[in-house]
Amino acid sequence: MMKLTTFLTSVAAVATLAVAATPVTAETTLEIVKKRGHVRCQVGPPSAGYYNLDAKGEWYGLDVATCQAVASAIFGDPKKLEIQSISSQMRFTSLANGESDLLSRTATWTMSRDTQLGLDFLQPNFYDGQGFTVHKDSGITSAYQLKGAKVCVTSGTTTELNLTDFSRANDLNISAVTFEDYNVRDETYLNGGCDAVTGDKSSMAGNMAAFPVPADHMILPETLSKEPLAPAVRHGDSQWRDIVSWTVYAMINAEELGITSKNVDDLRAKSDNVSIRRMLGVEGNLHEGLGLNKDWAYSIIKHVGNYGENYEAYMGSGEQGIGIPRKGSANALWTDGGLMYSPPMR
Amino acid sequence: MTVVNEKKTTARAAPSSETSVLGWMRKNLFGSAFNSILTVVTLYVIYLTVKGLWSWGIADAVWIADTRRQCFGISIDGACWAGVIAWLDNIFYGRYPREELWRINLGLVLLIIWMVPLWLPRVKAKIFIGLSTVFLYPFLAGYLFAGGDKDIFMQVMVSAAILCLIGNTLHSIISVMTGNSLAETLIRVLNVKNASEKSQRNILIAILGVGFALVYVWQMGWYVESVSWTKWGGLFLTMVIAGIGIASALPGGIFLALGRRSNLPVIRIISTAFIELFRSVPLITVLFMATTMFPLFMPEGFILNKLTQVIIAVCLFNACYMAETVRAGLQAIPKGQFEGAHTIGLGYWGTMGFIVMPQALKHMIPNIVGIFIGLLKDTTLVSIIGLFDILSMLRAISKDTPWLGLHKEPLLFGAMLFFLLCFVMSKYSRHMEAKLSTTHKN
Repeated sequence: MMKLTTFLTSVAAVATLAVAATPVTAETTLEIVKKRGHVRCQVGPPSAGYYNLDAKGEWYGLDVATCQAVASAIFGDPKKLEIQSISSQMRFTSLANGESDLLSRTATWTMSRDTQLGLDFLQPNFYDGQGFTVHKDSGITSAYQLKGAKVCVTSGTTTELNLTDFSRANDLNISAVTFEDYNVRDETYLNGGCDAVTGDKSSMAGNMAAFPVPADHMILPETLSKEPLAPAVRHGDSQWRDIVSWTVYAMINAEELGITSKNVDDLRAKSDNVSIRRMLGVEGNLHEGLGLNKDWAYSIIKHVGNYGENYEAYMGSGEQGIGIPRKGSANALWTDGGLMYSPPMR
Repeated sequence: MTVVNEKKTTARAAPSSETSVLGWMRKNLFGSAFNSILTVVTLYVIYLTVKGLWSWGIADAVWIADTRRQCFGISIDGACWAGVIAWLDNIFYGRYPREELWRINLGLVLLIIWMVPLWLPRVKAKIFIGLSTVFLYPFLAGYLFAGGDKDIFMQVMVSAAILCLIGNTLHSIISVMTGNSLAETLIRVLNVKNASEKSQRNILIAILGVGFALVYVWQMGWYVESVSWTKWGGLFLTMVIAGIGIASALPGGIFLALGRRSNLPVIRIISTAFIELFRSVPLITVLFMATTMFPLFMPEGFILNKLTQVIIAVCLFNACYMAETVRAGLQAIPKGQFEGAHTIGLGYWGTMGFIVMPQALKHMIPNIVGIFIGLLKDTTLVSIIGLFDILSMLRAISKDTPWLGLHKEPLLFGAMLFFLLCFVMSKYSRHMEAKLSTTHKN
């Protein structure tokens, strides 16, 4: 009997300790981030254009720019940032358990992910779609001519499923050759192992640029799927959600208003345009709703630049860009016929 | 009539089939028609492989270029080693700040200084040197690599490590030159040889105390900038994880194996359950558990750094494998050895430490080194949970815009590096075997 009592007492003691260790009031993500002093932003294993390492070990890319923009908005310093590179198997767990503050990686916004995984997708910063690459001298100019073709594809992705669907819907009898690694996929295609490669058009354009003779290949016009690539945050913290979405919106809006990292100081000092003055915090109090400083949007543009600048730098023709033309694509501003559209900032 | 040849018959030279190269070839390579065909075909395959590798990897290769496009421009069929060369810092040191790289190099140099005495002749107390490498060096290296402010525990351990390093080095130099230990030399220099043993010991302890105090005061002013573990990577990270894993696997394994063979039921059951649990789960699962599940069990906001979690997981996992190897070694020791040890009055730890373990470990060297080599290669799994070890770095080259698509050369380079490391370990284990097996020569 004595022993049992001792046992129960110790169990109770352990339980009490466990309860006492759990904090009673939950803090908001912004408070946690401010206390920590830096933003933890999750990207994936290096992927050309979106997030990659340079030879000095620094991160760069379109999605990295989003991370830097969030850090600039909160701290006024893009370096107050920890980039976490996490494999796709663990990306959502690691956001859910609080290891990452936001996900800025090429995650496709789908309904099931948005509604079932406890996370919220925000404004896409890149609209991608699946397509085909073929040898130019094969004479194929449309995906519907791929009857009976062997197509190289990376396994275990929606890409593979989309290919099967496309083949069945159009009675093309395409046989898929699957690979784990996209470098091997491309190598096989180049050595004649398959007639075409399928994948996201953006990444294929990047890879094609690295083929021995890029001009020998072309991307077919058809697009098989919609891949809106968007940042995501944990469900349930509206303030944090607002901060991240309006960071992306601010970058798009800045491009629309013609504010760049080069002229932002000038415009803040001299511009008469009310929209610009409001956005850069010269007048109005847009920042209050976000719980940030008055110059949050100014810092984003000053340190990271507007959406167009970042697109050119990393996806477009910039020095670190992978050369995907923007004109006429879904990633152009809405004023140019694209989908990049920000709600008014007023 | 008898004929007696009193002169020694001159020895004839061995037939040319036994000595000349041609004879050897005829015997071994072209003995039969089938062998001849095999030889010719094999030679041709070797020729093709070597020729291909030579022309791709060396003759047509590009060593200096700024981008892969330039490589293609210079030679379209050759390897583009320029990319690997541009990324060497990343491959070896990961994202560690470039101006702080000397700290990693210094850490390596200190490790070599610390361990060289183990191979030198005439140096006494090698066991102490070995143990201090395992238990003190990690603190010094840990501070050197991580930096930042030291808490009181870290200050004490760093001071102890520095003192030990100085002591070790002096001791080995003196030993190699004179054959005496550091303590003996100190006693002689201070001219207290005739004092009682107790006062000699007191003097040595006093010297140690003063040394510690001096080092402690010095290290209080020693500060290196903090480098977050998230910046660790490349071969450096691989070596950190594998090094700690290797250093802790053997002691952990020995204790678990002894526990499993223990007569005390609780210890036996716990050890057995622990070993079986970790051994029946793949390493990748253990790593996932450690990094994703573990934080869920902890109170909110409690985040142990991921590198620590991974290192703990690797240590536990390999200790369990090691335990079974050690147990196999223990079982090979005949019962007579245990009985003999008991007869001369040794207790449990005496029997194990002086009689059984030394014999068992000697038999287990090939297996132990096998586990170490496996461990070194297994560390590449940490790339899946987002640490930038050498494999992730090698793969990242093909995503960097200037070197987009460059993936064969880095992987080949990595394969060569791993081969070198594993081959050295394997060779060293053969050397150890040969050195320790003198008593068992047939």
